[in-house]
Amino acid sequence: MHYLTDPFQYVFIQRAVLAAVIVGVLCAALGTFVVLRRMSLVGHALTHSALPGMVVAYLLGVSIFSGALVATVLTALGIGLLAKDESVYEDTSVGMIPMVMFAVGILLISSTKSYRDLSAMLFGNILGVTPADLRLIVVIAGTSALALVLFHKEMKLLCVDPNYAKAIGVPFDLLRYGLLVFLALTVVVGIQAVGTVLTNALLVIPVAAARLLTDRLGAMMLISCAFAVIAALTGVYASYYFGLASGAAIVLAAACCFGLAWVIRLPSKR
Amino acid sequence: MFSYCRHRHSSPDPQAPALAIKGLEVVYSGLRPYGPIGPEGGEKPALKNVTMRVPVGVSMALVGPNGAGKSTLFKAISGLLPVRSGTVRIFGHRLGACHQRVVYLPQRSEIDWQFPMSVRDLVVTGRYVYLGWFARPGKEDLLRTMDALEQLGVADLRGRQISKLSGGQQQRVLIARALAQNADLLLLDEPLNAVDAETRQVVARVLEGIKAKGKTVIVATHYYDQQEGRFDGAIYLKDGQQVDALSH
Repeated sequence: MHYLTDPFQYVFIQRAVLAAVIVGVLCAALGTFVVLRRMSLVGHALTHSALPGMVVAYLLGVSIFSGALVATVLTALGIGLLAKDESVYEDTSVGMIPMVMFAVGILLISSTKSYRDLSAMLFGNILGVTPADLRLIVVIAGTSALALVLFHKEMKLLCVDPNYAKAIGVPFDLLRYGLLVFLALTVVVGIQAVGTVLTNALLVIPVAAARLLTDRLGAMMLISCAFAVIAALTGVYASYYFGLASGAAIVLAAACCFGLAWVIRLPSKR
Repeated sequence: MFSYCRHRHSSPDPQAPALAIKGLEVVYSGLRPYGPIGPEGGEKPALKNVTMRVPVGVSMALVGPNGAGKSTLFKAISGLLPVRSGTVRIFGHRLGACHQRVVYLPQRSEIDWQFPMSVRDLVVTGRYVYLGWFARPGKEDLLRTMDALEQLGVADLRGRQISKLSGGQQQRVLIARALAQNADLLLLDEPLNAVDAETRQVVARVLEGIKAKGKTVIVATHYYDQQEGRFDGAIYLKDGQQVDALSH
């Protein structure tokens, strides 16, 4: 038992656990709509787009969170805007933007000649969460959770029958941009936990695992949040005891949850 | 209290027809695969110079082959597609002024049937136009939902996930949502396409009931010959243009 409780004597571990759990739950809750609206690629685009913003913020000496925030929100709005241009297929814009942004990020990293300092951006460092980072994570998670509760029924309609939503006067574009912006905010906090490369996994894998076990939306959100918490805690412990990269450990733990769900579901498929 | 659109409770003009369309032109633009491209690669109207007047309380068939523009016309009336030119008046009001009075029943393929949602939850979305932002469905909304499900003979499916419905059941559930909305103008896009005989009978009975309540129904179909007696008239579309209008 003490193996589980020992790490909590350190304040930085308490912060890391809190941050990992909040980020995991937020990613799972929002990820439910991301997966069901088939927007996984958009999450992928946003996570990669954060990199140049973080590098610029680093070069300017300001919080890399703020750089990621600006870059992802701008990208989210850019994707929304490009998707409205009927001459550009939506998957083309979603496929194009992250690569361009990632390339800009890598170019900027190479110009700093300091790969070491920036590795946390790519792969995350949950044990390095500062009190200021935690406050930002709590504010963003709280705001996103409130938005999910307030607009839950419209979000469901947007997923299942967007035309009906438009026909009854629901401001479709506003909701779509809103979802993109909240997705961008979630990506920003996810980056602290698992880095730019792996954040999309945290948005998608717990939900994909939950979807294997239930076909009810409420249960799916709860199960995916539970998987996210398990993955987050596993990542922090793995990082503490074995010195493993926390981001990769969190994502692999989530992948194990998916594997477990797949095995559990096997008998019902026969 | 917080409605989706500030005009949603416009009262109908008692003198106005349910639907009055004059010189309607709708254009798909760009390179999307579903948008017709003109011979020079530019825009080609999906609907051109469509004019019609549908009085209150009648049932009309909108007849035409696939690609004639039937769904486009319904989408334009529902405010889903921008109108290039011409006017559309619904119960005497401009488009979007009375969302709750019009319901568009899309073809089944336009719904994400894999979304995790129960039949009851889908049908209750027909009440959202009255609820607006933040409000949750109340007792009356649930009663109307159950009543609509019973009329369509699918009340026993209320707890079933929509992913587990047959084609006929899907169609009945969509019509139940239209009933739950209690709209005065119903635009039904191929409601009898590829459904079982029992569903055809139930839908036909429900449509007669709707008409008996003084509501207006327009049904898009390409099998008019088999259903001629059910309608008060027909409007024919071909290649986005109105060919003829017929009143029985």
